[in-house]
Amino acid sequence: MELSAYAQGGWRLLGDPRRFPRRPYAALLRAAFRSLLDHSHAGLDDPDLKDIDPTVLKHCHAAAATCILEAGKQKADISAISTCLEDCKLDRERIEQFCTEYQKNKDALEILLGSIGRSPLHITDVSWRLEYQIKSNQLHKTYQPSYLVTLNVENSDSGSHPDVSFSCTMEQLQVLLSFVIFSMLGSSCGCNFLTTCQSK
Amino acid sequence: MTLCPPPHPRPVPPEVQSVRDLSPELVVEAAVRCLRAVRPALGAPLSPLLPPGISARFRLASDLAAACQELGFGGDVGYQTFLYSSEHDTRRLLLFLVEKLPRDESERGAEPPGKSGALLRAIGARIREQLGTPWVPPACRTPRLQRLQGTSRLYPFATCPLVLPQSGGPPELQEYFGGAAPPVPAQPPVSARTPPALLETHAAQLSARHDWEAEWGGPGLASRLPPQEYVGRKRLRARLRALEPLRQVCPPRPQGPPPGPLDPAWLQEAFGAGGAGGGALPKGSRFTRTQHLTHEQDPQILLQQVQAAAETLHPSKSPEEDAGARQAGEEAALEETLARLETEIEGCRGEVRDAQLSLTQAEAEVRQGRLALGGREDALRLKARAVELLPDAQSNMAKLQLVVEASSRRIVSLAGQWERHRGPLLAEYRHLRALRDSAQLESSRRLSEIRTLHERSRSAADEARRKEELYKQLVAELEALPRDVSRAVYTQRILEIVGNIRKQKEEIGKILVDTRALQKEINSLVGKLERTFSVTDELLFKDAKRDEVVRKAYKYLAALHENCAQLIRTIEDTGTIQREIRDLEEQIEGETSAKPPASLDRILSDCRALREENALLAARARHA
Repeated sequence: MELSAYAQGGWRLLGDPRRFPRRPYAALLRAAFRSLLDHSHAGLDDPDLKDIDPTVLKHCHAAAATCILEAGKQKADISAISTCLEDCKLDRERIEQFCTEYQKNKDALEILLGSIGRSPLHITDVSWRLEYQIKSNQLHKTYQPSYLVTLNVENSDSGSHPDVSFSCTMEQLQVLLSFVIFSMLGSSCGCNFLTTCQSK
Repeated sequence: MTLCPPPHPRPVPPEVQSVRDLSPELVVEAAVRCLRAVRPALGAPLSPLLPPGISARFRLASDLAAACQELGFGGDVGYQTFLYSSEHDTRRLLLFLVEKLPRDESERGAEPPGKSGALLRAIGARIREQLGTPWVPPACRTPRLQRLQGTSRLYPFATCPLVLPQSGGPPELQEYFGGAAPPVPAQPPVSARTPPALLETHAAQLSARHDWEAEWGGPGLASRLPPQEYVGRKRLRARLRALEPLRQVCPPRPQGPPPGPLDPAWLQEAFGAGGAGGGALPKGSRFTRTQHLTHEQDPQILLQQVQAAAETLHPSKSPEEDAGARQAGEEAALEETLARLETEIEGCRGEVRDAQLSLTQAEAEVRQGRLALGGREDALRLKARAVELLPDAQSNMAKLQLVVEASSRRIVSLAGQWERHRGPLLAEYRHLRALRDSAQLESSRRLSEIRTLHERSRSAADEARRKEELYKQLVAELEALPRDVSRAVYTQRILEIVGNIRKQKEEIGKILVDTRALQKEINSLVGKLERTFSVTDELLFKDAKRDEVVRKAYKYLAALHENCAQLIRTIEDTGTIQREIRDLEEQIEGETSAKPPASLDRILSDCRALREENALLAARARHA
């Protein structure tokens, strides 16, 4: 995880115990998470933050919010976050404080980041039929099974529920199922699988 | 063989302190229990209790030995290992069995059986979770369900510029940041835009920094300029490069006043100039008139509109249509006039351009004429002077000669002075040039140093990142490894043994030093004795010829010497014999530890019992 110079400057200010004693630091962290997750704009009126220069306060607030979003975006683990913050001269206690706060809000943050963007079609149900083709116009004997699949999908953008129908052979269905499974996992192993599939 | 195993294993009695003290019953029980834990199929038919019958005992022990061999015990194992155990064999066997014991369940759960296994388990857990939750309409999803089934509301990635408060800068900005500026996450008008805006700003800053690093690392350093100057120069270059195509597309205007085609002042002037030429003035005035007219029409139009509005109150359509037709006609006429005027303006512009060209030509001619006039005037003045000097030619010639000589002398002296000044200046110039060259050399050396430093820092950073990765991987591997306790135990034992050996080595070294000192002393004593003896022998031998007593004493001396030598030999022999005795004792000890007499006794008693059993069986057989 890498932070910009502006964010690093803000974190350096945050790590300075003369500027930010312990209580204001905790209050600022809470305010940063709240301003991102609760959509509340009344962030910086905590009584603990009254004694701090407002410019510095706003700078640090922006830096903390940036760091939170960046960590959520990159799905950074604790060690990555702490290396990044150690670069900004934060002591261990403050880093731990940030990490616990981050862990507490991680799910909400993921939902927030997940809600950015266009809505892909979301599969809600599936029905299928097995079809057995005996012959076609061109071929006298085909004898091939195939699946007729109908996906019930929802489109959150338009609120419509179009159906997606297609037919596929058994091998194609297997590949599709593995894609579905790995996309459900949504982790790096899914990506690995996809790359191996593509390379094949 | 189908004995019920006791529900609880017997505890090891407290008097058993080491493997040496383990009784055959305990050894058998331990082995059977271990076997049951390692491979139940092997251990189940074996009883942990030694049966009282000797032959049954032998059978159990041989079965146990076979089971151990099946498990892979490499050493020599038989019934004697269990029944007449030596400490060494028992220890090896028990160690082997304990090694084979399965790990704790929790530990086994922690270690993944392989990457694919973990993947499959993750897939299974995820599918189970998703199947376990019913489908919920998007609007009703809780946060947890949103993660599982998709988010209910999506916001497009819309960003907006952010103002980032920062210390430093002009005081007005500081005042704004300290006062009215809203906190950065509150700046976007819609709160849903906050994350995209922050992410975009951050990404822009990061990419700008990367760009600058790439720029400064490459051509920036090579330019040998401080960063700000480099940026300024680069900006200038970029501006010039951007202007170049513009310049090519728009060729420069002919010299003259026209600052722009639509400047009203220029238009006025142009029309004025045209007016002087005649013909354009009436058109210009007509243009202004039409302009006046159109402006004056405005109130008329307004009036008409008012009238039309009034007329709409009385429903009659024809005047309205009339007004529309009239307006259209006027519009067409005006457009025509405008087009005509535009062509006229174009024509006037061309005329003006021509006039300006001819004007510049005329100016150049005037300038040339003036130059020529100046040259002629100079020649005229010279000639006038010569004519003035003509009457008194001789004296004037002499005067002129003098003046010429004086001036030539002055020239010579001036040349000398020039040389005087020039020499040191030239030297200084050369010196400075050398200095500049050396500075340039130095700077290029520094530059290459800086570049190597850059390289090194970059490679160090890469290395650090790589090592970090490696460390993480190794930590993961370490966590994945089974916690091997025996390894630590072995290491400790090895370390202990090594420590003992070192201690023993030190002892041996001390003893060797002592022995050497003793040998030295012995040698010196032997030498002393030899010398004393020879001196005494000589003295006594001299006197022995004369004195009988001395002869006797000499004989005694010889006898004494011989006896002493014999004594010493005897002592040495005793030493070697003692050493041999010790060797033998060691051998005996080894033998006794290998085949302890106790087990021999046990074997003998077992043999006797076996014989009795055999006799009993034979008697029974005979009876039967």
